[in-house]
Amino acid sequence: MTLLLKQLFALVRLLNSDTGTNQIAAGVACGLILGFAPMLSLQALLVFVCMFLFRIQIGAALTSAFFFALVAWLFDPVSHLVGSAILEAESLQPLFTTLYNMPLVPLTRFYNSVVMGAGAISILLALPVFFASKRLIVAYRVKVVARFRSSPFWKLWSGTTFFKWYATYDKLHG
Amino acid sequence: MDKPVKQQGPIRFEAVIPMLIVVGVIVLYFSLFFDTHLRRSIEYAAGQANGAEVNIGRLNTSVFDASVLIADVQMTNPAQPERNRLQVGEIRFRMLWDALLRGKVMIEEAAIEDVQVDTPRQRAGYVLPPEPEQEDGPSATDRMLAQMKEEFSGNVVGDLAAIAAGTSASEQIKVAGEDLKSSAYLDGIQKSLDETEQQWRERMDALPKGEDFKALRDRLAKVQLKDFKDAAQLQASVKELQSIRDEFDAKSRPVGEAGTKLTGDMGALRGSLGDLDKVVRDDVRGLQARMHLPSLDTATLSRALFGMDVLGQLQQARGYMNQARQYIPARSAGNKAKPAASKSRKGRDYAFGKPKGYPAFWLRRALLTSRLSGERGLSGEIRDVATDQQLVGRPLVATLKGDFPQQGVTGVKAELVVDHRTAEPAERLNLEVGRYAVAGRSLVNSENVTLGFAKATASSGFVAELRGEKVDMRLSNRFNDTAFETGSKTAVVREMMAASVAGLNTVSLDARVSGSWSDLEWKLSTNLAEALAKGMGRYLQAKMDEARKRIENLVNDRIGGQKQRLLARQGELEARYKSQLAERKAQLDKLRAELDGARSELDQRKNAAVDAEKQKLKQEAGKLLDKWRK
Repeated sequence: MTLLLKQLFALVRLLNSDTGTNQIAAGVACGLILGFAPMLSLQALLVFVCMFLFRIQIGAALTSAFFFALVAWLFDPVSHLVGSAILEAESLQPLFTTLYNMPLVPLTRFYNSVVMGAGAISILLALPVFFASKRLIVAYRVKVVARFRSSPFWKLWSGTTFFKWYATYDKLHG
Repeated sequence: MDKPVKQQGPIRFEAVIPMLIVVGVIVLYFSLFFDTHLRRSIEYAAGQANGAEVNIGRLNTSVFDASVLIADVQMTNPAQPERNRLQVGEIRFRMLWDALLRGKVMIEEAAIEDVQVDTPRQRAGYVLPPEPEQEDGPSATDRMLAQMKEEFSGNVVGDLAAIAAGTSASEQIKVAGEDLKSSAYLDGIQKSLDETEQQWRERMDALPKGEDFKALRDRLAKVQLKDFKDAAQLQASVKELQSIRDEFDAKSRPVGEAGTKLTGDMGALRGSLGDLDKVVRDDVRGLQARMHLPSLDTATLSRALFGMDVLGQLQQARGYMNQARQYIPARSAGNKAKPAASKSRKGRDYAFGKPKGYPAFWLRRALLTSRLSGERGLSGEIRDVATDQQLVGRPLVATLKGDFPQQGVTGVKAELVVDHRTAEPAERLNLEVGRYAVAGRSLVNSENVTLGFAKATASSGFVAELRGEKVDMRLSNRFNDTAFETGSKTAVVREMMAASVAGLNTVSLDARVSGSWSDLEWKLSTNLAEALAKGMGRYLQAKMDEARKRIENLVNDRIGGQKQRLLARQGELEARYKSQLAERKAQLDKLRAELDGARSELDQRKNAAVDAEKQKLKQEAGKLLDKWRK
């Protein structure tokens, strides 16, 4: 829980800074794949490993995974239709037969219509979501953060002793 | 607040230690808690399938050799929660890693040891509540089975004993307030009679009346029948007569048709009144049932004594059949794997098996053994438990042979074949039990009488063949060396029951249930029912006959007046319209005769005129010839 909270605070801090745009956007894209995949599956494990190994913002990934899991749940009937269409495509039958009988691949549960449909949708959307996230983060920083920092409330708050003390602490230990 | 973020590479090297910690936690979980959680999960899933609590004493898994050991399995009997349906000492098996890596479970050989049935439990097991009804209501089969249950659980013998104990069946009979089918039937006839009368009134009004005939007669009177001046006059009369005849035919046709229709309508009404007897018989039977006036026939008694047993076995067979068809789906009509039925949110699983591939689950062979008391024991084999039989190419076959000495059950032979390789799933179970002890088994348990086996030694044969929606189940039980226990508050019932079963050392039960699941034909026969019918008949036949007669009389009294009124009204209607039609017909016949007479007279005149003309022409021709000769 501490790790999770730490990651969430890091996300807020990163969002409000001028750096880490790619990390956050990659986190959101990973969250999309994670949210659309079943929790106990090989692909979810792979995404987790990637999140840990590469510098992807985990807080952003987990937050967006939670959000996209809800979206995926709402889109289950659509995923089912898409997945059924893919799995029943005659030209793909030899490929699926090979994959089905290969080691490890069946652990992705690709042979399930909802998993296949959701997986296909999430992979197709991953790149657009990555670039859209980058744009949104930049827009957020310009339109929300900059405006907030020029507001009287922020000026008042940043002038308090407590804030100064926190800023010093954050600089030293953050 | 802004803090410069350090420039870092794309790989998070500092995450290695947390990842190692995570891996360590996972290893720790599998070492310490996984077995417990898996055991609980299996207990839960097996409990859902069994319908009652399932306990597993110990479960050990080994990741490296993919082996599992499950010990002390107890499956509660849902009908008797204080006993186990099945108890297994130990189950050991090893899965293939090759299959596990493909997300499949493949067990080459399993050992199932110390199998016992019907063992006592330390504490009563939890029984799951019955499943709620389906949203679209119970299926036709469920409705039919519920109806059979209601019929079999009716206490026929208890009702007979109540009559023997002195309750006068006829005293209880009160027809007033009962909705009789025959009364409703008569109301229907009354309505039909009203409609028929109305139709006939309209039809008779539409038929030609006296004035129509008079008009025709007046026209006929004006037709010139003699003293014709020339042929044209004669021709005009013939034409007019034909016109009158055509009009007469048009008017007389409905009268003829009405006669045929009247015969048909009245015949139908008489037929309906004749069918009343059948409806009355149904009413009498219904009232007998509602007033608990039981029948003494052996078929009814057989059903009352053993119907619930047979029904229980049928329902059990159906339950296992449904589970087998759920987990081992049959092939669809095409040669393609049928996607497993599942909720839409979970999607569908497609199978892309290939020859020599693994199905999702495959237990190739399991050996059953039980050696609890020396040499006597149980041995059996289960082959090819697979979720895709088409892929495996073989049906599930399970055999069992031996004894359950602790339960006093010997000579058990069982063979189960589950063949779902084709589009029509088939299951066959053949079970024989050479000998088992029966003690304190109740057959009838009512307020007025109890009857059961105090002790007996029994043998049993059970064959069930289920194919698609078809059922053929045969049960043959023999209870030897029977000792009955009967009980009643009244001496006469005790005496009656004791006399009925006296000397009955062997009780046989033969049952067959066949047909489709929604329309089953039940045949049950037992010599115990024959003995009871005979023995109780001596005491009860007179009372039963009197009660039945009384019911018949009461029904007849209730509907007799209405029946007589309807019969009288039907007779009166028939007579009235027959008479009216006869009257019209007489008028028509008279007019027809007049028309025929006029026609005949005209024909004569016409022929005479033609003859005279011919003669005249002949004479004139003769004269001309003579003239030419000269």
